[in-house]
This record gives sequence, structure tokens and C-alpha cells, in this order.
Amino acid sequence: MTDGLVTSIDEAQVLTTTLSMPYTLTTGPAAGSFLFELGNHRILGSRCEVCSRTVVPPSDYCSRCGEAPDEFVQLPETGTVTALTRTDRGVLALIRLDGADADLLHRLDLAKGAVTVGTRVRAVWAATATQSVLDLDCFVLDEDDQPPGTAHPAGEVGLIAQVPHQLELEYQHSYGPHYGRLFDELASSRRILGSLCPTCRNVLVPPREFCDACFVRTGQHVDVSDHGVLQAFSVIHLEFVGQTRTPPYIYAEIVLDGSATRLIHTVAGFDVATAAERLSIGMPVRAVWKDPADCRGTLNDIDYFEPVPSPDQQ
Amino acid sequence: MPAVAIVGVGQTHHSRRRKDVSQVGLAREAVTRALEDAGLTMADIDSVVVCTGPVLFAAVNQPEKWLVDAIGARLKPVVRVTSGGGTGLAGALAAVNQVRAGFADRVLVVAYDKLSEGALQYSISTLYDPFWGREFAVGIMGFSAAYWRARMDVLGHTEEAAALVSVKNHKNAMLNPYAHVRKEVSVEDVLSSRPLCWPIKLLDVPPISDGACAVILASESAAKACLDPAWIRGMAYYCEAENAAYRSMIQSEPLTLAASRVYQQAGITNPRRQCDVVEVQEPFTCFELSYYEGLGLCPPGGAAELVASGATELTGDIPVNPSGGCMGANPIGATALIRLAEIAQQVRGRAGAHQVPDARVGLMQAGGGWANLRGVAVVSSEKG
Repeated sequence: MTDGLVTSIDEAQVLTTTLSMPYTLTTGPAAGSFLFELGNHRILGSRCEVCSRTVVPPSDYCSRCGEAPDEFVQLPETGTVTALTRTDRGVLALIRLDGADADLLHRLDLAKGAVTVGTRVRAVWAATATQSVLDLDCFVLDEDDQPPGTAHPAGEVGLIAQVPHQLELEYQHSYGPHYGRLFDELASSRRILGSLCPTCRNVLVPPREFCDACFVRTGQHVDVSDHGVLQAFSVIHLEFVGQTRTPPYIYAEIVLDGSATRLIHTVAGFDVATAAERLSIGMPVRAVWKDPADCRGTLNDIDYFEPVPSPDQQ
Repeated sequence: MPAVAIVGVGQTHHSRRRKDVSQVGLAREAVTRALEDAGLTMADIDSVVVCTGPVLFAAVNQPEKWLVDAIGARLKPVVRVTSGGGTGLAGALAAVNQVRAGFADRVLVVAYDKLSEGALQYSISTLYDPFWGREFAVGIMGFSAAYWRARMDVLGHTEEAAALVSVKNHKNAMLNPYAHVRKEVSVEDVLSSRPLCWPIKLLDVPPISDGACAVILASESAAKACLDPAWIRGMAYYCEAENAAYRSMIQSEPLTLAASRVYQQAGITNPRRQCDVVEVQEPFTCFELSYYEGLGLCPPGGAAELVASGATELTGDIPVNPSGGCMGANPIGATALIRLAEIAQQVRGRAGAHQVPDARVGLMQAGGGWANLRGVAVVSSEKG
């Protein structure tokens, strides 16, 4: 989940992370039928008789009155541009299909001429169906000069109940002065820094601008030990999407000597199957560092914590 | 403080995966049921509070915008409130305050999540600091298990104590028509179930659910039209600094604070004797044990003894989670509001097969994280 980045005064001090989230979205009857019927080259809308409105794409509920619509209708493939914008990925337009009372957002292919508000356009279907709104490839100028079409009942419709979806979200988190120094020191000198609160005299790890309890400026960085005590632990067997380690492993919260806050890490160096017997709350542990060449300025520069004395000394 | 009452509640029949409705279609079902229960229509609603979990659960940002269309709430005040597992209660508190302030006479709170659609543990793990610990995060299960283990060491509690919570809540869920896990389990079953984050095992963990809940809150004058309002006698929601020095993980300070504030508002000095029924939001069984202590149903450290005594069973003197709690269904964004709806139904005498006889004063709790965000409410059939 965390890609890691060694910070440097000369470079932008950001941590780049990417969240890669898979979804299976449920369409509901209206959107699901719309997507299905695009594959049959049919554009569906929904008709609310209470409000006398036809909307496209169809909706499970009328956005005016909140009631379920009376029926699906099939709309003609022709309409009128009501608004448009030119983007670096082409022209996007709101299109009022003939017989509809609301606009459909889609793209225009301008290869065959200029478009403006009021221009008549017609749908062009994609060569291969992908069960998405892009089965309707785009709209182009309608040069046939036919009278506007009308909506009519759609009859039997199919349904795509679920669609896969993927979010790829990249973030650049600023380290700021405290985290920047913390991770630089971790990577370069195996030092762990905390902030001293001048009021409560607690040392807070990771270092921070303000004490969470006193809300006064901390100001001073102090070294804390890479030895500490195990405050809590669990044994992770659960596997899940996005996991960065392979189970089984230990989830541990450690209070480093000289600090008053918890550090989230793992305890290892022994057979995990014996963790329940071997580990206990309050037991001393110490950091086992990675080779300096492998340190990148993240918590992973500490490979793991091990019980003290280490298992092979016991 | 001006009186506020719950005058209608509705929830969906929760399930592991609803393939027939969209996210907002699901929420709409609960709204329809709450309006029917209250004998109202959307035209009677002055304001809407929408509650869902993190948007990463659903891949839809600003979901309230989508929901407005689905429930006919256009041109009404609509806000979304989110606060982890306690989201539904945080939303209810916002609604209560809208009524107390005179901003609205009737507020609809609608809470939902369709957890079948996204990557749950991954989404929850993003609540960790991206610099500091996220690479070790296992949703809230990793650290909850860790602090349960710490409680076991410090207080002498056992895995069996939490297993008793699982047995009780699974049994109660059999009586709840909205629950989707309806299967009795034994202590043996729980203890021998697959470890997920030991000491948390599969049967200590609620299901992943699609579900929604809606509650309508009304001012005293608006509640007069209602035959059996459930009066809000106290409600509070507190939070803790995530990484403060010497933070207690054995007891939740926000819970203690919220409980004492609410007891003061409701005139409760002995919750175990004065409350007839309790609903708590237990993301895992071990949470329910810590709540017993935080809510003052037993002394600190006394939770294992309390559950073993049978006092919190449906037939005990202080029944906890007669609905089955989260063990029956856990659509996270809706879960806290479901607890509030269930406790309202208890004091209205409408809880059905899991009704606690003659319940008049109900206590509910909800929150997020192991000890971070904690809310409490007391509802009563009496206005007070």
C-alpha cells in the first residue's frame, strides 16, 4: 500500500502511495437495463407519468417526485445539443434526445463538422459491445434532416446486474518537517526521533508539532531507544485485498523506551505458531534493522522487532 | 433542552449481497419503511441527514447527491455525516441537534452501506496514517484483537468470555427477521473456528452485509401526532486522540465520558437497574465485553463475569443485543442507526419476537475503532 520514498532536502518531500481498489457495483434495474440494451443498439429511458417526464439514462426513481417510474421507453438515436465543452480528450456535450425531458452526457465526434448549441446529432454505435456506456461510441452531426423521433415503450429488456469497477488513486503526501526528519534519520542513522512536550514532558513518537493532550508546541526532537515493550499484539491469519504482508504474521503495538506513544509494527524472528505462548503483554522487545543499503526511510527500515533476549539466546 | 422523539424507524432485510438494487435503492427501502412506520411522507420531512461509511467502501463520492434523487428529497436541506462505525449515531445526533435548535420539526436520518461491492479490510486500513503504520494495518481487526489480547492478560479474561457473547448474539439473531445470519453456535464452535486475527476467530466476527436503516426524529409538537414516540433522553458522542501519550486501550475513555454525560442528561445513576434493555454495536465479540464496563453495567474488569452470569441474555436482568447485534447483520454505515432503531422499537413495545417485556428505558451504544469514537444514547417511552 505504501510505496516509500527516501526524502531529501533537494527533492520534493512527498510520499507517493497508490490505492488500487477493486469493486463489484450493483446497477439496479434502470442502469442495468440501460447498459444491457445498449448492447442491442437500443437507448433506454424511463417515464414518470406523475411528472410527465422522460429521462435518459433511465432512473429507478423519479428525481422530481421520488416515485418508481412507470415504464422503460426506447428513445430515438437522434437529438439536439444543449451544451458542450471542448476538452483535451475531445468534445463532451449534453444531448437532449428526441422525446426526452432531460439531457444525456456523451461525447461528440467533430470530425465531420462544427457543432454548436442547437445542432442536430445522431448516435454512432461502437463496433464491439463492452457492456458499458461506451457501447454508444459517440454522437455525430445528423445531416439527414428528418423530423425529430419519438420515445415508445421499450417492451422486454435485459439486465446487467453487476459491473466490475476499479479505482486507482494516487496520492502524494507531504512529509512536513517532523516526518521528513524522522524518516531521514531512520534511513541514514537508525535513529528514532520523538517530540518532547514541554508541558507534560511526554515524548511523542512519531514526532509532531503539537502535543495531542496539552495542545502546546513541542519544539524539541529527542532520540528514543529502538528497544521497547510490547503493549498489544495479535496474530494475523486473515488475507485481504491490498495486504502488504503474507500471513501469518504478528500485528504489534510497541511503546519504545523513552516514549509514551505506540509504534505499530511486527514481532518476528521465531515460529509464529508459538506466538500465543511466547509473547506476553509488557515483554521487552528490540528492533532488528534492515541492511543500510535496503533502508528507504519508512517504518519497514526496521525489519521487525524481536523479543529480548532474542529467541536464539533463550 | 427541547424534547426530541423517534417517531418512525425502518430497516432493510439485510443480506450478504443484494444484487437486485443499487446502493441508493437499498437506502430507499429503509426510508420507505420508516415513513410508513411514522405515517408520514417525504413532504413532511424538513431535513435529511445521510450516513454512510468511508466513500472507499462504495466507490461513490458524495453519495448523498445520488440518494436525493432516489428518495424524493430534492430542494430539502441534505447533509452527510460520517464517523467510522459510529456513523449512524453521529448522524442521529446531528438530526437531534437540528430539532433541538428549531431548525427542523422532522428530520430523516438514513444510513446505509453496501459492503458487498468493495474491498472492506483494505478500505478500512486507509484510516491509518499513510506514513506510520498503514503497512501493518489489518482494518480495525488487527488492533482490536491486539487490545483484546491485552485485556485478557491484564484482566484475566478468556477467549470463552467473548465466545459467550457470540453464542448469545447468534441465538438472539434467530428471532430477528432483519438479520441475515441466523444460525445458532456453541462455545465450542466459536473457540474452534478459524483464527482471523487471533484471538479474534471467525465466529467472533459479524458478517459483511448490505443494508440500510432510517429513523425519523421529531420535535415535541410534531411527535404529538405519533401514538408511541421513543423519547431521546440523552445522546452524546466523544472521541480520543489517535496517538496520544499513555492512551488507555484497556478501557475506552470516550465511552466512559459519553456514558456519564448521557446518564446525567437522562437522570440515570445505576444503569444496570434503571435500564431495561441495551443495544450495543459490537464489531467483534470482545468489544461487547469492554462496553459492559464502559457503560457501567458492571465494574471495570467485570465483563467476563457478567456475561457468564447470563444477565445479558434475552431473559437476563439486563438484556444486551436482543436483536442479535452486529452478529445478525453488519452494514457498517447503518449499524449504529440500527442499534438506535432497535432500542426505540424496544421502548415502543414493537420489537417483535425479541421484545424485552415491559421495556421502558433503553440504552444504546455505538462507535468506531477499538476505543476512539464512542457514542451513547438513552431512549424512553416517557418524555421525562
